[in-house]
Amino acid sequence: MSGAPTGLLCELLTQSLVAWGVGGSVERAGGAIVLGGMKDIRIEPAREDLMFRWMVIIDGRRRGAISILAVLRQVREALDPGYAASRVHVAVAPLVPS
Amino acid sequence: MTAADPIPVSVVTGFLGSGKSTILGHLLRQPEFSRTALVINEFGEIGLDHELIESSEDSVIALTTGCLCCKVRTDLAQTLQDLLRRRDEGRCTRFDRIVIETSGLADPAPILQTLMTDADIAGRLVLGGVVTTVDTVVGYGTLEREAISQKQVAVADTIVLTKLDLAGGAPPALLNRLAGLNPGAPTLRAAHGRTRSASLFGTALYDVKSKSLDVNSWLAEARKHIHDHHDTEIKTYTLLRTEPIRAVALTLFLEALAEHCGADLLRLKGIVNIAESPDRPAVIHGVQHVFHAPAWLERWPSNDRRSRMVFITRRIPRRWVKVLLDAVDAEVAGVSAQG
Repeated sequence: MSGAPTGLLCELLTQSLVAWGVGGSVERAGGAIVLGGMKDIRIEPAREDLMFRWMVIIDGRRRGAISILAVLRQVREALDPGYAASRVHVAVAPLVPS
Repeated sequence: MTAADPIPVSVVTGFLGSGKSTILGHLLRQPEFSRTALVINEFGEIGLDHELIESSEDSVIALTTGCLCCKVRTDLAQTLQDLLRRRDEGRCTRFDRIVIETSGLADPAPILQTLMTDADIAGRLVLGGVVTTVDTVVGYGTLEREAISQKQVAVADTIVLTKLDLAGGAPPALLNRLAGLNPGAPTLRAAHGRTRSASLFGTALYDVKSKSLDVNSWLAEARKHIHDHHDTEIKTYTLLRTEPIRAVALTLFLEALAEHCGADLLRLKGIVNIAESPDRPAVIHGVQHVFHAPAWLERWPSNDRRSRMVFITRRIPRRWVKVLLDAVDAEVAGVSAQG
């Protein structure tokens, strides 16, 4: 998908492995990002006719992701079996002051 | 103080025997604290602390049902609601401040979360800050052994060194340890339970005197946090950003922090330049996976319009946090540009 910040996602994934204490490597391969280690993970920008921004292929299974954060969630779920996401609780408020 | 003004709630925490009750016992005898309601949590079958603190009987409540952080959702919220009702009905001193003394084993984070999120009390109360007592005689050893003690120090807005009359001074090793855990918190000194009462709750977000959000204290804290401070696990650092952040990007960023960091995000507080609100910065405040709704200042407190976010974390690298914000903001910018 055009405009997808692949470089930043690559850097974010590299730092995420460190933050999560998960071993492995992150490399750019053409327009894709490849994670090596416990699982075979490949992340590609999605085709422009799809509603997703990214395609995440984990051990051959392809799933769409609408955002960088969705990619991050899928990758962590794959690499960190004990991971249980904490959902944020934010009191209802306007995004900008009224 | 009018009925509509939010009542600041300060939390006094610290490990077992670190001098919380002694400090409070002295404090509540000072004239400026005469209109203070005290909620005491003791861990044990028989509560004693409330007997040892001299104060107006009708404004002291003892919670002896267990450790406050374990039963906080129900007991603390219910207690505060009852306290407010008694105040409204004139059945107790018309207090203008609440102080919660936690048990020595309490994790302060759930207490702060309840104060921020409980729908029945959040509208009337505002978090007034966290004061953590540290015993200068045995405090270093306690910090080495007890993880909960480290957390109590890490979330503090103010640290009070106690028992200086016994220790003869604060050991350098202890001061270094405290600086590593929470370099931004002002450190007060207490001997015989006495400390500078005027400064004790002076570094909170809410300023009692001006009845407004006092971000200057946070900003002063942030200035001290430019560089990383390393402890074994707990780290404090500041994220600075010159470019405004889009409101959606900030929301997504906070969601990601909560999702991936959870309990390891001990505290986050900051002032943020929102792209859609250039003249009114947002003040954000989070404890673990709970974030307070942003508060909007009427104006910037100084000419410095950079976003400044202070993180107190366990095992969360600064670099990851920075790249996360960069990536989210870039993606939101890309989506916005595409229309």
